[in-house]
Amino acid sequence: MKFSVYRYNPDTDNEPYMQAFEVETRQGMMLRDALMAIQEQDESFTFRHSCGEGVCGSDGVNVNGSNKLACITPLSELKETVEVRPFPGRPVVRDLVVDMSQFYAQYKKVDPWLIRKEPMPEQEILQSPEERDKLDGLYECIMCGCCSTSCPSFWWNPDKFLGPQALLSACRFLADSRDQASEERLNSLEGPYKMFRCHTIMNCVEACPKGLNPTKAIGHIKAIMLKDAI
Amino acid sequence: MSRQASGLRAWFLQRATAIYLILFILYALQHMIFSPPANHADWQAWVASPLVSLGLLLFFASLLLHAWVGFRDVIIDYVHPTPIRVTVLTVAGFVLVGCAAWVLQIIILAQIA
Amino acid sequence: MALEKQRFDTLILGAGGAGLNAALQLANANLKVAVVSKVFPTRSHTVAAQGGVNAALANVLPDNWHWHMFDTVKGSDYLGDQDAIEYMCREAIPTVYELEHNGVPFSRLANGKIYQRAFGGQSQNFGGDQAARTCAAADRTGHAILHTLYQQNIRAKTHFFDEYFAADLIRDQEGIILGALVLDIATGEPLLIEAKTTLLATGGCGQVFRTTSNAHINTGDGKAMILRAGLPLMDMEFFQFHPTGIAGKGMLITEGVRGEGGYLINKDGERFMEKYAPNAKDLASRDVVARSIVTEVRGGRGCGPEADHVMLKVNHLDEEVIAKRLPGIRESSKIFAGVDPVKDPIPVFPTAHYVMGGIPTDRFGRVMPTSDDDGDHLPGLYAAGECACASVHGANRLGGNSLLDILVFGRLAGKNIIDYVRDNPSHRPLDEASVSSAMDRFNKWDAKGDGITVSELRKEFRKTMEDHAGVFRVEDMMQEGVEKVRAIRDKLADVRLTDHSKTFNTNRTEALELENMIDVGLSIAVSALHRKESRGAHSRPDYPKRDDAEWMKHTLYWREGDKLEYKGVRSQPLTVESFPPKERVY
Repeated sequence: MKFSVYRYNPDTDNEPYMQAFEVETRQGMMLRDALMAIQEQDESFTFRHSCGEGVCGSDGVNVNGSNKLACITPLSELKETVEVRPFPGRPVVRDLVVDMSQFYAQYKKVDPWLIRKEPMPEQEILQSPEERDKLDGLYECIMCGCCSTSCPSFWWNPDKFLGPQALLSACRFLADSRDQASEERLNSLEGPYKMFRCHTIMNCVEACPKGLNPTKAIGHIKAIMLKDAI
Repeated sequence: MSRQASGLRAWFLQRATAIYLILFILYALQHMIFSPPANHADWQAWVASPLVSLGLLLFFASLLLHAWVGFRDVIIDYVHPTPIRVTVLTVAGFVLVGCAAWVLQIIILAQIA
Repeated sequence: MALEKQRFDTLILGAGGAGLNAALQLANANLKVAVVSKVFPTRSHTVAAQGGVNAALANVLPDNWHWHMFDTVKGSDYLGDQDAIEYMCREAIPTVYELEHNGVPFSRLANGKIYQRAFGGQSQNFGGDQAARTCAAADRTGHAILHTLYQQNIRAKTHFFDEYFAADLIRDQEGIILGALVLDIATGEPLLIEAKTTLLATGGCGQVFRTTSNAHINTGDGKAMILRAGLPLMDMEFFQFHPTGIAGKGMLITEGVRGEGGYLINKDGERFMEKYAPNAKDLASRDVVARSIVTEVRGGRGCGPEADHVMLKVNHLDEEVIAKRLPGIRESSKIFAGVDPVKDPIPVFPTAHYVMGGIPTDRFGRVMPTSDDDGDHLPGLYAAGECACASVHGANRLGGNSLLDILVFGRLAGKNIIDYVRDNPSHRPLDEASVSSAMDRFNKWDAKGDGITVSELRKEFRKTMEDHAGVFRVEDMMQEGVEKVRAIRDKLADVRLTDHSKTFNTNRTEALELENMIDVGLSIAVSALHRKESRGAHSRPDYPKRDDAEWMKHTLYWREGDKLEYKGVRSQPLTVESFPPKERVY
């Protein structure tokens, strides 16, 4: 199978370029396996990867124009020649490795931790199965960055718009019956930028390798805000 | 920043005005189809009727608000240097206010006539 | 250029469950704590733990920590230290509540309490009916816990060094650890982190085997650093093969699948675990189930065209149960096995999963440097999690006890470090010789020219380990294995990097990892060769019986000269009666 792979090493290259590789495929092979095979051919080829089963979120890349997690993308689903590039809109560190620090910084801005004001009980804080069900579709995020780096609003205002990933996380805590800081969370999302740059383009939904729906989460936050404001 | 500031309100205004815009356009369309004004006088009479006047006023107020929010969104997304952004927004603001004045003039003139 | 230095109260190597839970205690106590991780923290392999964490909360069935302790001692095939096991089982309960308070989204029961599922090797009343002790967040418990701990660490303002690779520990003439030399992967620049205390929480080493459930990063870096620092590793021969990895791929299918009612069948559709473990059946201990599967396949009763795996049947379960309790497994099966478990059984075979052995510590996480039964710990050096050996898992770990181990001992090491730093408030003087020898470890990879590539030697090494130190081990095969791994270690000198640039050079980090893996692999092979009995995960057809008279002792392995020493099992618990060794039947 033929691959065209984005290459750039700031130590040696003035300009990025695309390099052609050919990889022998086998039944059930994933894109990550192919990238590892390419790395065997050329050990200077660099990309992040770890668990190989779609839970660590390391190996998000742009394949044939869409953001995917390499380890759970079967080669059989890809059109030849497979074009592999780094995530769009992020500074390239080297080859497929991008600088994700702004993405992580936005995550930290939503205070992504459970806030409880009452003293803790001796045992668990009780939560009904129905209340717990509200976290499904929110807590499973693996922070791979496929969504935020496919979001045009995030490309335009990466420093001010929190992006789908961080907003999904914000929603995860707003939806948690144990959390007691909804008011503060809602207040902090106000303003034209942090959340309201979302124009429901929905690239995030298409990109999410875990099948999550950040657009829906953002809509949910807006609905709570409105209910709270009226 | 309080919740009253421009995020939620702008978002809400854009949707609320959109709904009104659609409803009024539907009304205006059905009027044009089923009883189209034959001449200028008909037009004037239609515009001058109190309910239509009020509806039109609201329609243009909504339209301008809607346009303002939408335009502001586009500027925020694409125009980043502060001086240019302020200039563009100010110009846009004047144009919209000018449009508002013009609409007002038309309706008032229709009323007088 | 002068080497950049930074100073902290505590240096934690590794940002999985153990490292982050320790960091959280320390940061909450306002200590200056640095967490070094070679990947962004939420990419640590704790994220992949599926089934859950054991604690005798008794939310579903009657339970208490003493029963949990019995199961763990029995599961360990009586090689676990009973003081540490008692401590872990008691601490399990407040540890899980603390996690819940920190925000872990556990699944819930109708009464609002944490959902608990049945797992292998769990019993009520010291070997009676099946217990339900594993607290779960669907089948994504590790993910839920790791993300929560990272979130709480952001709140507590822990200082993270993300994508920094730890090369070696720095120590002085007395052997006291002064910190570590680390490499900023993005820039290729070294950084010296000086610390009053150092905690190793670098996780497992499953990558030494070719087929493994472990991530690419699980290369035993901390263990190898300990070996190079002249300290021993304990019980490295005990490596757990998880019974149900996806056949030919190795991705894990949690024991929770069997806990929810799934079972194994061979090519005749026979539920074969009934033969090997009449009572516990598919929920027997992992070593027992893994051996049974291999025995079935070797007996010609395997499934598939190559007859090289068995099937895990789930499709008799309610689709609702699968959707609610095992959503991740359904997804993985579809992606990697091309099978929807709601309709068809999943092809499975044992996969290298977990190392019971590691850096010897006492139950406070303090590193024990000698084989002396009354020996003292090394001041200021701690280890917790899969890289350590407390020893709570002995010869075989029970499912649900690994998340427990990392959380309890991570938390406890953190609390102990707080006391240590209070009593030892100043940094010790830096030892320049040790720094330069650590620097040499980087610099030697600057050698250019022709040689073997990293990936070539890595392939050869991992295949050798799989062929010679797998589920069943016989003398000749292992002897050959040890010699082969030694030869591979010698070949390391011929490895040359093809890439010598500074920026994000994975060729270099993978070479450093390979070096680590080979040292750790040899500790496994040598320790295994010399243990002439079958106990827990260490199964020797040539010595099929457990031999308590001769072998109820821990193995200690030193890198220098592949030296082995032995140390007694601590069979005296803290407050209860000891569980004497009994024959282990399920």
